[in-house]
Amino acid sequence: MQSTNIIQIENLVKRYQNLVALDHLNLEIQEGEIFGLLGPNGSGKTTAINCLLALLKYDKGTITIFGEPMTPGSYDIKRQIGVVMQNVAVFEQMTVRENIDYFCGLYIRDKEKRRQLVDEAIAFTGLEDFTKMRPKKLSGGLLRRLNIACGIVHKPRLIILDEPTVAVDPQSRNKILEGIVELNRQGSTIIYTSHYMEEVEQICTRIAIIDHGHVLATGTTEELKQMIKTGETITIEAIALDEELLSGIRNLPHVFDVSYEEQTLKIRLGAARHNLVRVLNYLQEKDVRFGRVFSELPTLNDVFLEITGKELRD
Amino acid sequence: MTVYRGFLTITRRNIRMVILYLIIFLSIAVMVQKMTGGNAAEFEQVSLHIAVIDQDGGELARGLADYLGQYHTLVDLPDDPSVIQDRMFYREIYYALTIPGDVENRCLYGDGTLPVTKVPGSSSGFYVDQQIDTFMNAVRVMTASGIPLSDAIQSVIDSSADKAEVTLIDKNGFGGEQPLHAFMYQYMPYILISILCYSMCYIMIAFRNQDVKRRMMCSTIPARNQNFQIILGFATVGAAVYGICTLMPFLMYGKTFANDPNLPYYLLNSFLMTLVALSLSFLIGTLVRSEEVISAVVNVVSLGMSFLCGVFVDLEILGKGVRTFAQFLPAYWYEVANELLANNSGFSHAQQMSLYTCYGLQILFAAAILGVALVISRFSQTA
Repeated sequence: MQSTNIIQIENLVKRYQNLVALDHLNLEIQEGEIFGLLGPNGSGKTTAINCLLALLKYDKGTITIFGEPMTPGSYDIKRQIGVVMQNVAVFEQMTVRENIDYFCGLYIRDKEKRRQLVDEAIAFTGLEDFTKMRPKKLSGGLLRRLNIACGIVHKPRLIILDEPTVAVDPQSRNKILEGIVELNRQGSTIIYTSHYMEEVEQICTRIAIIDHGHVLATGTTEELKQMIKTGETITIEAIALDEELLSGIRNLPHVFDVSYEEQTLKIRLGAARHNLVRVLNYLQEKDVRFGRVFSELPTLNDVFLEITGKELRD
Repeated sequence: MTVYRGFLTITRRNIRMVILYLIIFLSIAVMVQKMTGGNAAEFEQVSLHIAVIDQDGGELARGLADYLGQYHTLVDLPDDPSVIQDRMFYREIYYALTIPGDVENRCLYGDGTLPVTKVPGSSSGFYVDQQIDTFMNAVRVMTASGIPLSDAIQSVIDSSADKAEVTLIDKNGFGGEQPLHAFMYQYMPYILISILCYSMCYIMIAFRNQDVKRRMMCSTIPARNQNFQIILGFATVGAAVYGICTLMPFLMYGKTFANDPNLPYYLLNSFLMTLVALSLSFLIGTLVRSEEVISAVVNVVSLGMSFLCGVFVDLEILGKGVRTFAQFLPAYWYEVANELLANNSGFSHAQQMSLYTCYGLQILFAAAILGVALVISRFSQTA
């Protein structure tokens, strides 16, 4: 089956006076994807989402959703979009059920259909035992689940989740991630932003790395990993290595970065066979005693670090 | 009408507070009724414990003592200043009159005054002073016109026993008294402002939450439609509170209120005050950011305006400065109109103009407050 673009963003520019928040941003998101949007704080993720939802006016560019231009009056498009904000956006004065029903009512008029959808959303997020409780009585994890229930209750085709697992305990986080994958399995396209690289790696089928308002790289996790130089990182605990020895390691094939701090030797190498064996043989030749040895394939964090030059949480 | 339903759901969450205020309102009304008890036009003369020290023993002295004895209880005391002062200190007597020897020549025909001991500046002292002056003047006039002293004294004592029939001018159809429902309407601004400001502020804070707002903006209901539904919610709550406040005087005073010729004016006046309270609640709701401060702000506004504008005390009791300042507050014009309605049934042209001025000013206040609130709201959105 040929996949179709559900969202197309072309040359999107958004300025806040002298600050360019989005700098010719281009994105294509296909139907059925879980699309991860990765970027450090201030990279333009939220601005991009706000423009996408027509909550913000932009200076230049086009946004097309479901093949139609997205404007504040595109109510047919909006009907098919569900939004889960970073902050919990519910009414404190309403119960869990009333909140879900209220936000469902913004899309669905039919009372009977709404009741059914609300029941389904409650069951989906596992909030059956808390329907009569007010939000302030809920734990952080349950609140997040309520937030998600309010966003997905009308069964949208496209769901935008902006950091939905912030300040959530691991158990609830897993439940939320499983839920997102399940929503995708049920046919929804997901746009997912998160600071947690491992979450993005776990659930996203495609990822865009965004910084300074434009996309630096797009692809699957594997595709992104292949874009960078690092193929393997070897970490060795060893005592008192001198500069001559480190220089020897640097001259080994495929090695492009060596660092030695606090008795830990870190060697970054390009993708090649027998990297680890070669390094260990060299150390044995030089009669170097060493402790624990780790060999790691590149993570999304390495990709991010190499592409943007900074950690995600910088 | 999802937004409207949500508005009413949040309003229902504050129903306990609304009931609390209504209970306060009813309690005040019942207390006023108990205190006035419908006998405001009855008059009872004050009778004091006084002492008369008669050093003269003559006809005039005895006559004066008899005259005062008609009004007050005479207490026997020795002619000892320290005893008189002690008794007065403990308020066993309120006035002590010493009639000196040769009082007739010294005080009736001469310029002498009667020595008295009284609580300085007290109304009781002034009251007895006046009675003594009245007696002495009457006797002086009669004797000057040739009537013998004994006849003059007897005549003054006899005439004091005459009772005058007093009838209050009935300008308002309630025998000149303020009707009890007028008291209820006097307190109504406090209830309207308190209830509406409390409930509306809570709702406005809920709907002004940026995240909730963003989520609502992502929905299929246009922003204009959402605003319309919120305004409809405001109108519904305002109408409900107005309805309850209007129902209460009907329940408590029934036909008396229903037959009051000023009934439509009362209803219009309280309706305009409801509009003012609604716009005020919108302004406070726009300014207040957290639920914690609502109570403090609403109390300051509702109590402050009530005390300054004659809600809790009659307008005539307020000082000139306070009244001048109160003219810049809408509740003052409500109270001026209410006072006009309470004291009159038919209106002269000037009174009618005053009434309409009060109504007009309330509308202007409501519009001005709403305008300020809208400007602040727009400013805070763009800031």
